[in-house]
Amino acid sequence: MPRAPVSEKWWGPFESSGRVDVVHVDLSPHAEREAAALALLDEEEQGRLRRFAFDGPHRRFTLCRAALRAVLCQRLGCGNEQLAFGSARHGKPFALIDTQPAPVSFNVSHSGRHGLIAIAPSGRVGVDVEERDAQRNLDLLVDTVLGDAEQAALAAAHGGARVHLFFKMWTIKEALLKAMGNGFQLDATRIAVPPPMLRGKRSGTVKTPPVSPSTWHVEDLGNREFAAAVVYESAEANAPARRN
Amino acid sequence: MAATEDRIRQLVAENLEVDGKPLSASLDLSASLSDAGVSSMDQLSFGKVVAQEFNVTLTAEDCPRFENLQQLVDYLDSQAS
Repeated sequence: MPRAPVSEKWWGPFESSGRVDVVHVDLSPHAEREAAALALLDEEEQGRLRRFAFDGPHRRFTLCRAALRAVLCQRLGCGNEQLAFGSARHGKPFALIDTQPAPVSFNVSHSGRHGLIAIAPSGRVGVDVEERDAQRNLDLLVDTVLGDAEQAALAAAHGGARVHLFFKMWTIKEALLKAMGNGFQLDATRIAVPPPMLRGKRSGTVKTPPVSPSTWHVEDLGNREFAAAVVYESAEANAPARRN
Repeated sequence: MAATEDRIRQLVAENLEVDGKPLSASLDLSASLSDAGVSSMDQLSFGKVVAQEFNVTLTAEDCPRFENLQQLVDYLDSQAS
């Protein structure tokens, strides 16, 4: 099959609401896209690329960061050369325009051939995507990441349903932890997946005292190709409407 | 201690891979696993394997404290002494 010309964007709308948009990024190998993306990255980003030991992480970062730059420049009305990124305490990036903090919130995740960018005008937002690996030894992670109710729900599931449920819970927790800006510095077993979502619901809300006083809206974005979730402070957002 | 470092290198070679390619036992221990392309899920799984191998407790929130494998080796040596 012929390759898409590089003039075609490798990212596009995935989910949307009044305040939170989620963009999907195609991270499939594509030499022309990677060359075009590389040209958009600044010196600091290219330095980071040189530390990647494998082609896959190099490609995913290049394509995803270039897509993020394009999305932010379009939303903020700035040029690519004006845009740079800072990093908060636990590594969560933020955008700068001409060295000043930009009025935008975003979060990025990638796994295998898929990247997701969640973007909002304000408020904290987190996103996670994971290609499901049915061969993964989930037992290594269950008691480290899941609370009692979540472990019970997983124990009641079997085969493919068990894999889907684990990755659903993982992406919700990682998106929550990323939204809060802590990553796995917090005890993930204490970050509860909304119980209705353990029973199949696609969205819910969760509070995380004493870690944060916020109420968070949680949306399961998973589909047949990947597990994914987006999380944002409820006061800042409306429920997303599914596009595909 | 070299023994701890050797055991960690062996565990890396046996348990960590990126896109189906195993990380080499000759990996630079001062490099971060994230920069090597190891996912957060794989890093937590590896922490569990290390905890079992060295009979120590490593929680999920312990793992991100180690910026690289050398820091993990140093921590394990401090627990053993």
